[in-house]
Amino acid sequence: MSLVSTTPVATTTPIIKSARTRVIAVIMAVIGLFSFVVFGLGSTVRSHAALSFTPLNLVNAPWHLGSLTVATRWTDIVLSLIIVALAAEVFIRQPSRGVMPRFGIAAILFLVTLLFWAARTDGPSQVNSVNVTSILVGCSATVMVLVFGSLSGVMCERAGVVNIAIEGQFIAGAFLGSMIASTTGNFFYAAIAGAVVGGLIGLVLAFFALRYQSDQIIVGIVLVTMLSSLSSYLNLQVFTPFPNFNTGNLASNLAIPILSKIPIIGPVLFNQSAFFYLMIVLVAVVSFALFKTRYGLHVRAVGEHPRAAATVGINVVRVRYINVVLGGAIAGIGGVAFMATQGQFQVGYTSGLGYIALAALIFGRWRPSGAVVASIIFGLTVYLSYELVTYQVPVSLYFLQMIPYLITIGVVAGLIGRVRPPAADGQPYLRD
Amino acid sequence: MSEIAPAEIPQGSNEPVDEGPVWARRTSALWVRYTSSSPIVIAALAVFLGLVFGAIIIATTTPAVLDAWRSIFHHWSGLPVAIKVTFDNVGSAYRAIFTGSVVDPQGFWHSLTTGKGWPNTLTPISETFTYATPLVIVSIGVGIAFQTGLFNIGANGQAVIGGIAGAAVGSMLHLPTILHLPLTLLGGIAGGMLCGALPGVLKAYTGAHEVIVTLMFNYVTYAFLLYAVLSTPFQQPGQSNDIGRTMDPSAILAPLFGTKSGLRVSYGVFVAAAVVVFAWWLLDRSSMGFDFRVTGANPAAARASGINGRRVIVVVFLISGGLAGLAGLVQVASTTHYIDGGFLIGNAGIGFTAITVALLGRNRPMGIVWASLLFAALGVGGRNMQASTGIPLDLATVIQSAIVLFVATPVLVKEIFRLRAAPTATVQLATKGWGS
Repeated sequence: MSLVSTTPVATTTPIIKSARTRVIAVIMAVIGLFSFVVFGLGSTVRSHAALSFTPLNLVNAPWHLGSLTVATRWTDIVLSLIIVALAAEVFIRQPSRGVMPRFGIAAILFLVTLLFWAARTDGPSQVNSVNVTSILVGCSATVMVLVFGSLSGVMCERAGVVNIAIEGQFIAGAFLGSMIASTTGNFFYAAIAGAVVGGLIGLVLAFFALRYQSDQIIVGIVLVTMLSSLSSYLNLQVFTPFPNFNTGNLASNLAIPILSKIPIIGPVLFNQSAFFYLMIVLVAVVSFALFKTRYGLHVRAVGEHPRAAATVGINVVRVRYINVVLGGAIAGIGGVAFMATQGQFQVGYTSGLGYIALAALIFGRWRPSGAVVASIIFGLTVYLSYELVTYQVPVSLYFLQMIPYLITIGVVAGLIGRVRPPAADGQPYLRD
Repeated sequence: MSEIAPAEIPQGSNEPVDEGPVWARRTSALWVRYTSSSPIVIAALAVFLGLVFGAIIIATTTPAVLDAWRSIFHHWSGLPVAIKVTFDNVGSAYRAIFTGSVVDPQGFWHSLTTGKGWPNTLTPISETFTYATPLVIVSIGVGIAFQTGLFNIGANGQAVIGGIAGAAVGSMLHLPTILHLPLTLLGGIAGGMLCGALPGVLKAYTGAHEVIVTLMFNYVTYAFLLYAVLSTPFQQPGQSNDIGRTMDPSAILAPLFGTKSGLRVSYGVFVAAAVVVFAWWLLDRSSMGFDFRVTGANPAAARASGINGRRVIVVVFLISGGLAGLAGLVQVASTTHYIDGGFLIGNAGIGFTAITVALLGRNRPMGIVWASLLFAALGVGGRNMQASTGIPLDLATVIQSAIVLFVATPVLVKEIFRLRAAPTATVQLATKGWGS
């Protein structure tokens, strides 16, 4: 079946590709013109706003940039024109590489113009300063969780198993993480518990998918349903009568001595909880393991063509088991990390982040580095769509909340770039 | 996927001895069928395993039970008490589910002997039917998609949009019932179709995997729901909360036994019955349904025999989305008559339950009816369990997902109970990946 469907794609690739590059260019141009007209020209009130760079979480910062007051309207116009220029460049030159990063830059510039516009719009509670540092620090928590989730997806799907249960692993990790962190007061144990429970869920998924060839998507979705209702059940049975199991203390930040004093970037990248550093290490380790080691070659072979991999002596089922369990463990730690930045476990508080992580994985083309870029774009969007409430924007934020999902739909439909999953992704492997 | 319950027992290795009187042969044939891994047996055993799983969860998380077991560490004599406490707790939970969803035997006997209190006695079963009605409709939509080899994970979003569209028609137009009710139903269907068309068209023309598209669309529709119930045209006048307009009395599905009876079961059951008949006709009697099933069973063969795959995908998603939208509307029109910001969210998400119902009902219209009734009973009885024993309602969803995990893995059930091979091969859903 897959053979039949891939053949026509292969023959018509060059034409489709240039058409798609044009589509991306047009989308970028629409975004740029929209922000030019609406944000740049549309709103006339209060054309100045301040960008403040207050150093957060750092007691004795040696620097203080104060705030930068800019004419937001002109800034918006300039930024929108940069987006349009990028679009024109993509449309005319049609670069073979780097289209997606340009799209990412355009998306982030769009969010920045939106922020400036929000900062100068009149509202009951006028806010005319945008604290860039606090926005970046705030969204880094969401980005971190998305990176954990999409790395988990990379591990599983590169080996050919669709892990739709990331959301369930987040929930289980957050639940158990809160319990362990509250009783021991140590996030190290919490992370281990999260990894174990995430790995166990991965094991269940792998067991059903590999031993019984059950449909991976169905098993994944059923696992998410079960875990979300189980967490709600246990929340009432355990956390409500024994609140000291769910005190919700946050993980403390570890400032890296000199680097954390760098303006803006310092607090965002080098004054984070241990989970953030662990995430960076994991991204490096997973990229290296998948693309530079012998084992990674085996994994990718298993994900692309399991039969061929088996022929050269790779144990397909074992590789898949290992990867799904490890991927589950990563997502479980992601759940603990989420809990460590949000506090007390609540029912449904991951609110579909696992599915956004899945989207980030697809947007990032099943690569760890791509997943990070996608997580940054999605994380910023998700964070801003909730954060902009304080700015009293005159448009409904619900439309902003749709953006990550709409981008993902555009990506899988091939409107924005072409994505190709590992060939055997989700296919059961039957031993002869 | 095009499995049909075996009408007769075909010849095979487990054929009973062909001797003896007719009744003996028949009994023996039944015995072979019901000790084998035929789909019905698998479904029944999966339900049993799901209930056992639920019992284990109750036993391991209820403080009273845990306390009783802790006492045996002090002295062995506590063991019988601990076992008794365990069974008492599990028993009272399941008893509460039964009395809350079917009938309370005491109340029934009271009503039967004195002729009084019938509304009270019938409330549980009426609630089960009220909950099952939209569930049947949406699950049949999901089941039709499954039979064509398509996953419609977005049924919940389609139901939300259908509910909004139908409620808008029902509350903003003012017409006599004879026009208003059909228009409202059509509004629900149209809303769901609109929302189902997009994944269908994207799947057919760009190859975008429908699971991702529908999954993402669910979140888009939630955001849209919150926008809609807070927007000026649709929000209840004079309200600042997330509540939509109330539907006109001419647009609602009235209670079957009159408003005074207090029983909520509505004329929606006839809508559900019509959908069941439609689905049966579509799948078993129409040539279009045949195309669907062939596409689901073997896409390559379907293409080779000249079936237009793209058209099938789009039409199936239109039907599936339309039914989901109708279900969303039936949900509003037969219960609250208005939509609020929590419409079909969380435990109330019938579109997600529908996936499990369709799998348990093996995507057949009548199978889905039985599965819907069972899951509706679990959901409704769960509320009673929470009220009377304090065990959270979410247990019902846990049991449901466990049941489906077993149904989706017939081989596991077969191994647990050491069942014989089925007279007809057990059908598993065709597995496929993102790419196909």
